[in-house]
Amino acid sequence: MNFFKFALKNLIGRPIRTVLTIGGVALAVAVAVSLGGFNQGYKKAIEGSIEQLGFQVMVMAKGCPYEAATLMLKGGTGLLYLPDNAYTQIKEDPDVQAITPIFIGLAEKQNVGIMGDEDEGDGSNAFTIMSGIDLKSFKEMKPWFTFKTGEGYDGGRWFDENATDEIVMGYEVAEYENRKVGDTFYASVTPNGAVEPVMHEFKVVGVLERTGSQDDGSVYIPLKAAQTIFNRPNELTIVGIKLKEFNGIRMREFEGRWLRIPEVQVVSLQQVKGALISLIGTAQIMIAAVAIIAVIVAIIGVINAIMMSVFERMGEIGIMKAVGASRKQVFILIWIETLFLTLIGAIVGCLLAIVGSGAVDTALRYLLNMGVTTDMVDITLPLLVLAVVSAVILGLLAGIWPSLRAANLRPVQAIRSSE
Amino acid sequence: MIQNNEKKVLIKGRNLKRYYYRAAETVKALDGIDIDVFAGESLCILGASGSGKTTLINLLSALDAPTEGELFIDGKNVIGLSENQLVDIRRGVIGYVFQKFHLIPTLSVAENVALPLMFLGMPYSDRDIDVILDSVGLLDRRTHKPSELSGGQMQRVAVARALAVKPKVLIADEPTGNLDKQTGDDVFALFLDLVKQQNIGFILTTHNLELAERCDRVIVLEDGKIIS
Repeated sequence: MNFFKFALKNLIGRPIRTVLTIGGVALAVAVAVSLGGFNQGYKKAIEGSIEQLGFQVMVMAKGCPYEAATLMLKGGTGLLYLPDNAYTQIKEDPDVQAITPIFIGLAEKQNVGIMGDEDEGDGSNAFTIMSGIDLKSFKEMKPWFTFKTGEGYDGGRWFDENATDEIVMGYEVAEYENRKVGDTFYASVTPNGAVEPVMHEFKVVGVLERTGSQDDGSVYIPLKAAQTIFNRPNELTIVGIKLKEFNGIRMREFEGRWLRIPEVQVVSLQQVKGALISLIGTAQIMIAAVAIIAVIVAIIGVINAIMMSVFERMGEIGIMKAVGASRKQVFILIWIETLFLTLIGAIVGCLLAIVGSGAVDTALRYLLNMGVTTDMVDITLPLLVLAVVSAVILGLLAGIWPSLRAANLRPVQAIRSSE
Repeated sequence: MIQNNEKKVLIKGRNLKRYYYRAAETVKALDGIDIDVFAGESLCILGASGSGKTTLINLLSALDAPTEGELFIDGKNVIGLSENQLVDIRRGVIGYVFQKFHLIPTLSVAENVALPLMFLGMPYSDRDIDVILDSVGLLDRRTHKPSELSGGQMQRVAVARALAVKPKVLIADEPTGNLDKQTGDDVFALFLDLVKQQNIGFILTTHNLELAERCDRVIVLEDGKIIS
C-alpha cells in the first residue's frame, strides 16, 4: 500500500461525498471550458463567416453600422438601398480586383406544397431572403459554389440571367422547404410603393451544396428579376468588393475616394468583425462572471468537503499519528485526496464540456444570434490541458488549509474527540 | 518475582505531572508519578475511571507531553520535544492498542496491519503481513474489512497492527474493555504470549482485577497518584 492507494480508498469509502464533490468540480470545469471554447470559437467563426462572403469591403447605403455588420451575415429587415450607378462607378476603381452587385429582399414565403397545393402547415407565413445577383461577377467572387447532386438534384444549374421565374436555392433553405430540382417555390413580395403583396411562382433549377455559411439560407435569382419583383429598378443593397491589396492604408484611400457618393458608406469587413466581436464582449464578460462564480463555488465546495472529511475522520487521523504518521505524511495524504477529487472532477468536466458543446453552441447561437454559421464553441486540446492543470492547481491550493488542520491535530485530542 | 534490576529499562518516568487548566481551575490528572517499564515485563496500571490511567499511558507512549517531570523513552528524554520529535520517539518504539480498536474502516485487515509500516517507510511484503496475522490467528481474514469482524477479531487486528513495527513496548489502554469475558481472556492471553515470545515491555490499563493478577507487576492509581 502507498499514500495514493490509501487516499483513493478513503475517497471510495465515502462514495456520496466523493461523487458530489467531483460533480461540483466537474460542473465548474465544464462551464469554464465551454466559455474558453466560446472565446476561441466565436472569433474563428466570425472570421470564417466573413471569409465565406468572398469580399473584404462592402459599399452600402448609410445607416447603422451594426446593422451593416449583420446584414450580410444573417440578412435583416428594414433594408436600405443605394443606386446601382455606384456599382458602375466603383467598378472602374484601379484598386478593385473583383466586384459584385447584390440586391437583397425579403419575400413572404407561402405555406404551400411542392406542387402549389395547400400545405398541411399551420397557416403562418415566414420570410425568405431573396438575393438578386449578377451571375458572372458573383461566381468570380465565390468560385467554391457547386451544385448538389443525387436523386432529385442531378442536372442542377444556374438560372438564365434573363429569366424571371428561375431560382437557385441554398442548401439549408432547400432542405427546410423540402425542394429539389424541378420543384415549384411560391413566394409573395410586396413591391416598393404597393400595399398588397404579389404572389410569384418560381421554378427551382438548382440546389447548392452546403457551404457552412449564410449563403446556405438564401434563394438566388437574377439581379434584374429581383429589382423588378421588388419594384426597385436600378437599386442595390450592397456592392461587394475584393481589393487587389487589402491593408489599412489601401482601405482608407479607397474609402476616401468613394465616400464622395452621397448616401453611401464603405464598410471594411475587418470593421464588421470588430463590431461583432465588440458586440459580443458584454455577453462574454457576463458568461466569464458566471464561470468565475462557478469556479469559486467549486473551490469552496472542495474545501468544505475535505474539511468535513477531516472533522469526520479526526479519530482516524489521531490513530494514524499514534501509529507513526508524521505531520507531513498526514498533510500529504489529505492533499492527495484533494488532488484526486479535483483531477477526476476536471477530467469529468472536460468530458462534459466536449459532450455538451453542441448544446452550448445551440444555446449561444440562440442567445447571440449574430449570423455566425460555423461552430461557436471550439474546444481544443491545449484548452482542455489548461483547464485540468488550472483545476488541479486551484484544488491543491484549496486543500492546503484542511490538510494543515489535519496535520496539526494532536493525536490524543483527535482520538478523544471521536469517542 | 521478577528481578527488575537485571532487566533493561525501556521507559523511565520521574515525578511526572500532567495538569489541565480550565478557567481558574487546575485539574491534576497526574501528580508526581515515578515509574519504570522493563523489557519482557507486563505492567498493569489499575485504577477506577478518572484515576489517571489513560493520561499516564498517553505520556508513556509519547502521545502527550507531561506538564512537569522527567521522562525517558528508549533512553531518549522526551521533555520539551515538539510533536514531530514525539512522532520520531513513537515510531518503532511504541505499539499502541486502543480500547475501541480504532481500525481504519476503509482498509482491509492486511492494510490496517501494514499502515504503520507505510508511515515508517519500512519495506514489507505480503508474506511479512501474513506472518503477523498468523501470530494473532487472523490469516484467513486478511482481506476482510473491519466492519466484517467481531469485536475480538478487531482487537486482534489492533494487536497485529501494534506489533507490525516490532515495538520495544506494547501499550494497551483497557484492551478487553469492549469484549465479552471469554474473548477478553483470549486476547489477554495472546498479549502475554507475544510479550514473552518477543521480550517486549507490556503496559496495560484495566480495572479488571483478574487480569491484573496475571501481570508481572501492578501499580494502582488514585486521583493521579500511585497508591500501591
